[in-house]
Amino acid sequence: MCLFFGTRQLDNGSRSTDEHRKGLDLRNYTSALNPPPIPFPLHFEWTLPDPVLSAQSVLALAPASLPSNTIFGHRVHPSRTPLASSPWALSHNTRPRPGAPFSPNLRRSNAPFTVEMVANPASGAAGTGSKPNASKHGLSASGPRSPAAQSRRKQTGVLDQKALALEDEFKTKHLGVLGVLAWIMLLHVAGIYLFTKGFLLTRMVLENKSSCEVLPFEEVLAQPHSTALGIRQEKGCWHEKTFDKAIVIIIDALRYDFTVPFASKDESETAHLFHDNIPVLYETAFQNPANAFLLPFIADPPTTTLQRLKGLTTGTLPTFIDAGSNFAGTAIDEDNLVAQLHHAGKSLVHLGDDTWHSLFPGYFNENLTHAYDSFNVWDLHTVDNGVTEHLFPLLHPENSTKWDVIFGHYLGVDHAGHRYGPNHAAMASKLQEMDRVIRRIIAALDDKTLLVVMGDHGMDAKGDHGGESDDEVEAALWMYSKRGIFGRTSQDTVLPPKFAHDRFVPQIDLVPTLSLLLGMPIPFNNLGSPIEEAFSGAGGKNWANLATVNRLTSAQVKRYQHQYGIARGAGDDEESMLLYSAAEQEWKSASKSFSSKSSAARASNELYRKHQRHTLDVCRGLWARFDVPSMIQGVVILFAGIVLLVIYARGLKMDRTQLTPRLLSFAGTGAGVGAVSGSVLALVGLTEMTIIDSAVLLAAAGSIVGALPAVVTKPANLTVPLPNGMWGWLAFFFTVSQSVGFASNSYTIWEDEILLFFLTTFGVCAGISSMRQKQTTDRVLGVYHSVLFVILGRIASFSRLCREEQMPFCRSTYYASSTSSISAPWQLAIPFLVTLFLPSVVRSFYAGSKSYEGAAALWIGFAFRLGLFITSLFWMLEGADDGEWLPLSKETLKSVRVFLAQLVLALAFAAGTGAYLYSKPCVSINVTKPTEDPIAPPAPIIAGQQQGPRTTVTILGFGNVYGTRFFFLVINFALAIILMQKPMGQGAIALLLCQILSLLEILDTNALTMSNSSIGPVILGVLGSFYFFKTGHQATLSSIQWETAFIPLSTIKYPWSPLLVALNTFGAQILAAIAVPLTVLWKRPLQTHDRVPASEPSKNPATRLLSDVVQAAGTHILYLATINLATTMWAGHLRRHLMLYRIFNPRFMMGSAVLAVVDAVLMIVAVGGVRWSTLSVGEVFGW
Amino acid sequence: MASNSSASGPSSTPTAPAEKPSALPVNILPSPVARIYSIVHPALLLALCATRFEALVENPTKELLSTLPWLALIQISYAVICLPPAGSTPSTESSASSPAEGKTSPRLPSGPSGARHGKASKRKQHTNSWACIWSRLLPATLSLSLTFLMATPVLALLLVLFGAPLTTHNAETVLCAAHMAVLSATALIYAHGTDRGVWNEVWGIARPADAVWGGALGAGLGAWFGAIPIPLDWDRPWQAFPITILVGAYIGYALGSLLSRTPLLYGKRVQFTAEELGNKEKKTN
Repeated sequence: MCLFFGTRQLDNGSRSTDEHRKGLDLRNYTSALNPPPIPFPLHFEWTLPDPVLSAQSVLALAPASLPSNTIFGHRVHPSRTPLASSPWALSHNTRPRPGAPFSPNLRRSNAPFTVEMVANPASGAAGTGSKPNASKHGLSASGPRSPAAQSRRKQTGVLDQKALALEDEFKTKHLGVLGVLAWIMLLHVAGIYLFTKGFLLTRMVLENKSSCEVLPFEEVLAQPHSTALGIRQEKGCWHEKTFDKAIVIIIDALRYDFTVPFASKDESETAHLFHDNIPVLYETAFQNPANAFLLPFIADPPTTTLQRLKGLTTGTLPTFIDAGSNFAGTAIDEDNLVAQLHHAGKSLVHLGDDTWHSLFPGYFNENLTHAYDSFNVWDLHTVDNGVTEHLFPLLHPENSTKWDVIFGHYLGVDHAGHRYGPNHAAMASKLQEMDRVIRRIIAALDDKTLLVVMGDHGMDAKGDHGGESDDEVEAALWMYSKRGIFGRTSQDTVLPPKFAHDRFVPQIDLVPTLSLLLGMPIPFNNLGSPIEEAFSGAGGKNWANLATVNRLTSAQVKRYQHQYGIARGAGDDEESMLLYSAAEQEWKSASKSFSSKSSAARASNELYRKHQRHTLDVCRGLWARFDVPSMIQGVVILFAGIVLLVIYARGLKMDRTQLTPRLLSFAGTGAGVGAVSGSVLALVGLTEMTIIDSAVLLAAAGSIVGALPAVVTKPANLTVPLPNGMWGWLAFFFTVSQSVGFASNSYTIWEDEILLFFLTTFGVCAGISSMRQKQTTDRVLGVYHSVLFVILGRIASFSRLCREEQMPFCRSTYYASSTSSISAPWQLAIPFLVTLFLPSVVRSFYAGSKSYEGAAALWIGFAFRLGLFITSLFWMLEGADDGEWLPLSKETLKSVRVFLAQLVLALAFAAGTGAYLYSKPCVSINVTKPTEDPIAPPAPIIAGQQQGPRTTVTILGFGNVYGTRFFFLVINFALAIILMQKPMGQGAIALLLCQILSLLEILDTNALTMSNSSIGPVILGVLGSFYFFKTGHQATLSSIQWETAFIPLSTIKYPWSPLLVALNTFGAQILAAIAVPLTVLWKRPLQTHDRVPASEPSKNPATRLLSDVVQAAGTHILYLATINLATTMWAGHLRRHLMLYRIFNPRFMMGSAVLAVVDAVLMIVAVGGVRWSTLSVGEVFGW
Repeated sequence: MASNSSASGPSSTPTAPAEKPSALPVNILPSPVARIYSIVHPALLLALCATRFEALVENPTKELLSTLPWLALIQISYAVICLPPAGSTPSTESSASSPAEGKTSPRLPSGPSGARHGKASKRKQHTNSWACIWSRLLPATLSLSLTFLMATPVLALLLVLFGAPLTTHNAETVLCAAHMAVLSATALIYAHGTDRGVWNEVWGIARPADAVWGGALGAGLGAWFGAIPIPLDWDRPWQAFPITILVGAYIGYALGSLLSRTPLLYGKRVQFTAEELGNKEKKTN
């Protein structure tokens, strides 16, 4: 494994006993040096470049402590070391690197850092006496009794104070940097908010209610109705009622093709498991057309249950703004069927999905109603059993007076789809269960009761829904009555349609139909039409009745449209007015001829119908009206944010941490002034915007205006933020070309393939660049890791979840089949493979710089592996549950699984974070005395140096102190994210981790770590996006794996459930974002204040590190912000595009969500975590 | 691996990574036939591409297979007519030619790259060029076989890594790789043989621009750009997998081999980092 990963582990066999490895803090470590104790503070080592010191402390070379002086590709060359001129080169010989300003040869020092010092008091004192400034470095090896010790202690104190000051400076600046990142995030949130407000459609909600006593016709508006209200309510309000009672059964996600006999669209298609399992609906409609009819029932997207219930009860169109509120439904305050029934004094019963209760609080008979949690999609039976259990007692004749309308909402089919996908035995058995339930209801039904069975939406090929693909919107509607009153107006329509696209009805048509059948007024906002089959009479010739109900409906639609026009301050639509008056004309002539079958009634019926459909189209257009000024404001804010970020991340030559105070105060002032003036403007009434909107807008604008002079200070500190060199241009090209590509629906659809293309391009460029490296080691390692990077990416690309638009050129591999959402049995092996290999791979990268020391062995070799193993067990049990391999009850399995998952999360987040805060760097310090190591070759000795017993201090893992320490954080999150993925996604995340490590090595071998190249953070961004797709996601709402919220929980718990789903959805981006600081920390040479380059002597090296980290973070954000701006702009620009809701809108939402999530993760976790890794390194090695 | 001593000098010289001075850019042979054909050749390739385009769209596999020999022939003749073979100092050249046909060809004119040899009589030059052509057929055949044996698998692998399907379309991938290999690698191998320095430069995209290298690089870049229209939903039959890539490679080859001969580009190297650029400027100053 180690060889495979191109680094060879060092055998530490020659290290001395374990007692020397205990302490890592060299300050405490001094006690281990014996005899005599040398009270040297740590700083001493870092003052070695002083030529004076080389006289008394001999730097021994690797051979003394290494079994072999050849580490993979890093041969130590004692002979070529300019010993006298640069002692550093001596102890860290890799290669001299020209151009780098400071200690370039430290850059990748795989060789342990070794100090050999004279530990003989006498000889040491002799050496010290002649060197006056030795004590300044606290290096004197003389005994503590000498007078020099006093001053040394003083000096030590001074140095400690200096270190403390530097540490405090770092901490302060670190907080400041977090503030800057928070400001950037708020700016993004403000921009996204403003755009979203204008872009996601909204509809005015009218408070008007239809009432029984007022018919919708204009002429009857004024006159009070002759008949008494009580009689009217008894016989039916607007129209004579057909049924007294109704049972409305909603089978969630009942797709139309589940209900009709299988009919293949092409010859190759064969029946799936979900076909032909609920035949009762078709059977009855086929055998007794007068008793039942079955029709395709088309939902208006978004196809989420809450939106659908709104549409099914109010008869209006959903607008996109509500799509996100599926997790927290709110009461409907528009006029609706349930409210009408409630006001008419009917006893309403609800059973099943508790979404109804949040929508219609207080409307249901509390004694009979039973609601169940709707989001536990892993549970197929609780809701259904509950509904069935409470439904049938109500159907008993003795209970028939207790209720008028029952709403029963079954969720099993939907949950089976979410959990297994439609093509699964669980779905078949669920549909069969529904079939039995419906047959039982039919048997128990009386003549006065109408039975309605419908789906609220369909499901896509893998059982999810939310979007607007055909499979998602095509539900089924079936009505049944024992009276035999249903008719067909034509012979062609007797049979239920074979396919859902024939003779479908929109779902809102249910509202007028049910209202009029039950003798209720049509809800005020309704836009639907009465369903022909329900009103045309058993013979299908009752045109008069049809014309009457359509006239009522049209009148109500017209009334609503009129009111809406008034509310909006606009006139009526002319064409619908014309249609309506033409229909009225025909209606009048029909009523004159006194013939129910007259052609006039038929014609007026047609015209009313046309009027309704036309109005529906008008309203669809109306509610697709965007608030363009608000959208532009959002885009401008986002754009300005990018401009600032370009300057901040790429256009500054100075230390970014120095900007912080000015930047934050200016931006803060600007934001404050903007917020206040925005509120005042809105309060005074100078703008039409609400207080919040205008405050947000002006605050964002004010902070941008304020920040600009803070960032652009002196021309000397600025550079042209144009990319330089091939890498910069490559990063620029990836970002811009991807952004431009989002204008095309094809490039949006095929984003996963395009990202693979980019990543391979980067890998090839990295290989080419590595071939140009001057050092053979750089060349070999660079090419090796480039090849590895490309191959890993290609392997990951085999994990695919195709979106509908990619068909037929794509084959899903993420789940067992394309019509399933469970993993294939062979995929359960992936977690075990990950357990086996991933820690070893990480270890090999640590071992490459000899950093598999200290906490690393425990962390990577034990804790990480343990966590991965438990994860594998979890998914094995999950598979056992799905496949019913174990003779254990579902409950037992579930509770064991939840426990395991919580254990892993505790390991990753609780224990992991705790350990991260307090862990020491991955170095091992080892002291050998010559007596213990007699075979060591004599150390090269400077001429004239006196010999004495020497103690060799060997520090292993010195070359990658910052990187390996920080990488622990990545490991913690990788563990948690791996747990949250399906088995295939776990393999993908493991590959992502390997690719990140390869990328870091590529950056290092191509000298991109210390040059703050933009390519590293940008490639991490590309990697994050790529693996988003490789973990079974797409830029569609239906690909969100909601069920993963139940991995470590058995019920919905806020705020954890949404966070868990976010961890699953954006896991790849989160992991990539956390790795961003590593692009400047990996194999970064250790810097302390006494070793800063001569050019900037006053600088605190820790703040330089911080500046580099925040630059990398800024670049990463810049990539994502550019993508987000592009998707936002294209979605806004293409708002009339046919594919807006299918492609551009979901991509825009994904881009915004990713930006917000990554902003937060970068600030809190990634850059936040740098604080502790740097403090920990500083604690051991000084500041 | 173990020898980094040669590469890592203590002082940093801003030279190319190659250990010895790299091979010079390759010139088109000075004979008029060579000069004319070197211009005609890219046009010929483009014409081939254009005339066979419809057939290619119709049935890519069949067409690619049936065009491959012709492409190889065109490339071989280009190499033989226009380019000096690998290691072509006059002596090796003549020794290579003498066993092939010893009777008529005199030794003196066989220096193919000599700009100094232009004053010979027309007739002589004619026979000489024929002789040279004959003597170059051996390296040409060698280079062609190396192209098929080495370059095709490498390019096929690269295509797959860039996202070409692995489980389907294998014939298309391999044939596409073969076409690209014949386009780019034949002349390279013919002109440079297996010179390690040169190939290190090739892998590092660090060759100085000349007709041979420009064509190869152009073919690669063209194929890269050729992948761009594939995902678009224009529903055109030519958007199928290897077609655009191949057409891109052909166009790129033609452009690259023509443009890199112009004085503007000739002899220039692709610069990767600003540092390299700076070093170069320093060196020229």
